[in-house]
Amino acid sequence: MLLTALIFLPLVFGLGLSVIKDDAVVKKLTLAFLIAEFLLSLFLFAKFDPESAKLQLVERHDWIAAIGVQYFVGIDGLSFWLVLLTTFLTPLALLSGWTSVDKKVKAFCFALLALETTMVGTFVSMNAILFYCFFEASLIPMYFMIGIWGGTRRLYATVKFFIFTMAGSIFMLLGIITLMFLTASQNGGQISASLLDFYKLHIPFVQDEFFSTQTLLFFAFAVAFAIKVPVFPFHTWLPDAHVEAPTPGSVILAGVLLKMGTYGFLRFAIPIFPQAAEQWAWAFMLVGVFGVIYGALVAMVQPDMKKLVAYSSVSHMGYIMLGMFAMNTQGVSGALYQMLNHGVSTGALFMLVGFVYERTHTREIKNYGGLASAAPLFTILFVIVTMSSIAVPLTNGFVGEFLILLGTFSANKIIAGFAVTGVVLGATYMLWMVKKVFYGEEAGVVLEHKAHGLELNTREILAIVPLIILIFWMGLSSNTFMHWSKASVENLVQNHGQYQLTIKEDEVEKSLEKAVAANSAKKVLKATISHEAKNEL
Amino acid sequence: MNFSIPLVDFVCISPAIILFLASLIPLTVKVLRGNKEQNSFASLSWVVLGAVAAAFAAISFLPKHSTTYHFSNALVFDGVSIFVTVVVCLITVVAAVMARENNATNGRQYSEFLFLLMNSAVGMLLMAWSNDLIVTFIAIEIMSLCLYLLVALSHEEKLSKEAAFKYFILGGFASAVFLYGVAFIYGMSGTTYLNMIAVRAAELSTGGYLFKLGLIMAIVGLCFKIAIVPFHAWAPDVYEGSPTPVTAFMATGVKVVTFVAFLRVMKLDFLGHDPNAPLVVILQWLAVFTMIAGNIAAIMQQSLKRMLAYSSIAHSGYVLVGLIAATVAGEAWRGDLSVIFYVTAYTIMTLGGFCVVCLLESRENDIILIDDIKGLAKRNPLIAGVFALFLLSLAGIPPTVGFFAKFFVFSAAIKQGFVWLAVWGAIGSIIGAYYYLRPIVYMYMKDEDGVSASEHYQLTFGVTTLLAILTLLLGLMTQPFYLQVKAAISSFL
Repeated sequence: MLLTALIFLPLVFGLGLSVIKDDAVVKKLTLAFLIAEFLLSLFLFAKFDPESAKLQLVERHDWIAAIGVQYFVGIDGLSFWLVLLTTFLTPLALLSGWTSVDKKVKAFCFALLALETTMVGTFVSMNAILFYCFFEASLIPMYFMIGIWGGTRRLYATVKFFIFTMAGSIFMLLGIITLMFLTASQNGGQISASLLDFYKLHIPFVQDEFFSTQTLLFFAFAVAFAIKVPVFPFHTWLPDAHVEAPTPGSVILAGVLLKMGTYGFLRFAIPIFPQAAEQWAWAFMLVGVFGVIYGALVAMVQPDMKKLVAYSSVSHMGYIMLGMFAMNTQGVSGALYQMLNHGVSTGALFMLVGFVYERTHTREIKNYGGLASAAPLFTILFVIVTMSSIAVPLTNGFVGEFLILLGTFSANKIIAGFAVTGVVLGATYMLWMVKKVFYGEEAGVVLEHKAHGLELNTREILAIVPLIILIFWMGLSSNTFMHWSKASVENLVQNHGQYQLTIKEDEVEKSLEKAVAANSAKKVLKATISHEAKNEL
Repeated sequence: MNFSIPLVDFVCISPAIILFLASLIPLTVKVLRGNKEQNSFASLSWVVLGAVAAAFAAISFLPKHSTTYHFSNALVFDGVSIFVTVVVCLITVVAAVMARENNATNGRQYSEFLFLLMNSAVGMLLMAWSNDLIVTFIAIEIMSLCLYLLVALSHEEKLSKEAAFKYFILGGFASAVFLYGVAFIYGMSGTTYLNMIAVRAAELSTGGYLFKLGLIMAIVGLCFKIAIVPFHAWAPDVYEGSPTPVTAFMATGVKVVTFVAFLRVMKLDFLGHDPNAPLVVILQWLAVFTMIAGNIAAIMQQSLKRMLAYSSIAHSGYVLVGLIAATVAGEAWRGDLSVIFYVTAYTIMTLGGFCVVCLLESRENDIILIDDIKGLAKRNPLIAGVFALFLLSLAGIPPTVGFFAKFFVFSAAIKQGFVWLAVWGAIGSIIGAYYYLRPIVYMYMKDEDGVSASEHYQLTFGVTTLLAILTLLLGLMTQPFYLQVKAAISSFL
């Protein structure tokens, strides 16, 4: 029930909001709810068994039984942290846009809540059609979020975002349908869209032949996810969408929505099509490393802070692609870690850029200068986040990037060599921006707005501090975090080619064990009592 | 010659009889009142009563689990007949409700309008039931003649008259082509009954070109009615010029029954279930052209109605994909299912779309441009909401019914080996997403002034809401709907 509650409570609450008239109340209630939802998601720690690579907290109900479509949700190490990331970032996103979102507040809250439903749903769906429904449905609230509350070119950006993502995913739908028909032979004629059945398939594969079933299907899925990630040639929607989105939209988009793509690779593209994924891994590593360098180079010449952060996203997502397609334990766990890091650090960067934009109404780097003396606390926080973004040791970014590079190095040394340059380039553009914006003489808008105060207020500090804490926590004790996904990652990597996922019957076992334990305890007790009684006699 | 018709035959066509009788009532009342319109609400309630009774009769009297032939083989009754009867009744009611409140059709000639509307529906029913190509022809004529008049009956003076005339000329031409084809088929096979042609189909189709020629002409006639590219040129003009209730009626009703008739013709098995038969190949290309041309042309439209007209052309292409899947060997039932599922889903979404257009029209000669609905979400949040839902469903975004319709068409195509059709369908959907999103952008993301819904369209608004609920509900709970459709097509197996 926990997962279902996590998925649908936001939507139900959002529908319930329609009876409340006052915008301020709506906003506060939504925040309270989102925090409650986060607290609820913390129960996952209690219920989830990190030692097991099996699927847990499973709920299975028929939806369209005739075509094998079920409401089938479950969680394992791959999705565990992503669900928590979602529930963690959403309240912070709302908090970050507390004042900047001033029109149609109720609609905004509803969009955010609906978005949370679809995001959590995407990460825990274990039925391909259910996954597709959430994956596609997540476009709608984000589409409205950019289109209604976005910047000046929002209409262009939002339509582009929608069409690009849909263009990829509709071919994935064709792939899902084909897979569903393939399951018929192993299920006695009944088709199924369950991922567990997909994993059991042995899809015909011909080495070095592009037009073989497995390769084509692999690309149907991979392109859909590559657009979402976004991987190099498909990335053009991202800077537009990020720049035009309102701050909360950018935070969610960078923090969670992009992870749907990388998660899709780990959940679908790599385990279902192992041979094809292995054969084409070089191509994805190549576009990954190209994305790392290209994103960094383009970020370097951006005059706009938000655009710079957006291109840094392209660069960081390239690392995640590298890690996943290195297909070894370090690479994949690094990629998974980097997904969280990117959510935290890029989310924080978008927030900070949003905060300063709210005051000065410009994001042009050349308009800034000497912000450090005008807003020291803001500067400190910004620099910390920058350090995380450029993977300085002790921050979370270092752990992820290091593991990815380690994995890449053992998979392909040349690509690893090129990937390392990305670290330097990343430092260049981020530090260059920090230097221009924060140091030097006070100039431009900083002088202009100094009187009104450029320092962060309490609400903004509250929104950003949890992320700062995470940056250090994840950087210092990464094992605490990796522990929860380790078993699943090892299962994915070590069983490449015969990956299986089974449902953990823990509830049944536990209750059985309890019953057995209780029985034996009773017996022991009885025995002791009778023994004692005898002794007394 | 002893000529007797058993009673059971009349029981089977009772839905048509009921609709016909109900159509007479408003007209008779008007005559008895000295040619004065009675209360339009009373007239409307006769239509609703008639349609509900007809649907009820279809469900309770028609044979559910078997295929029976009546009127000496002229009509066939099976699950599909029942299903389509219910859908046609629904369309009739929605069109009648819209017409009562729309300014182009309400007022002084409402009784005549209802008479024509319901008789057109009778023609539709006959077409869906027909097992005889001659009956099909007569049904097309009943349906179309009423439609020509319905289009011309609009209070709007220019566009509707032009549309009626255009539709009449081109429709007459298509009917003639169809009839010409039927003549060839009769000449070669000696019968016009589909089930009897089916017995000899394999032999006939190898016997010479004349039979095939006849079939191709009959198919061209049908393709005209469902606006398959390149026989679609009439559709945008006619759909735009007609009063919106009539547009809604013909964009949905005509398509549903013509596709059913088309399906019955294709089930003849004259192609020997061969996916490489020339006719199947040609139909595949037509489907691709229809999906792509319809979607691309829709992008360029400024008028909302015209955009929906092109979108309806594109949707015909999708149904045609399902129909092609139904003609070849293998799991043809998936094709049948996708056709019936798609036309039903399409009916609900398209009716809803036109209902919204109808709500926005305040005068009889209004043409609602996409520009006009800027900021509609602010003025009429509910209407903007349901319109957005219909558009998303038309675009095939889950979890609406439109998504599952596309899903079943794609799965039928993939299962039957027409992957390339599914790929073109997917490409069409991407193009489609662009223009379906545009009105949403205008409604929600631009704040200028534009039209707003008239307040006196309460019934139409109620119907629109119901259609919106159906769109969402049939998507979320597809299972029972799917089973209904599957039961309906079981007679084709």
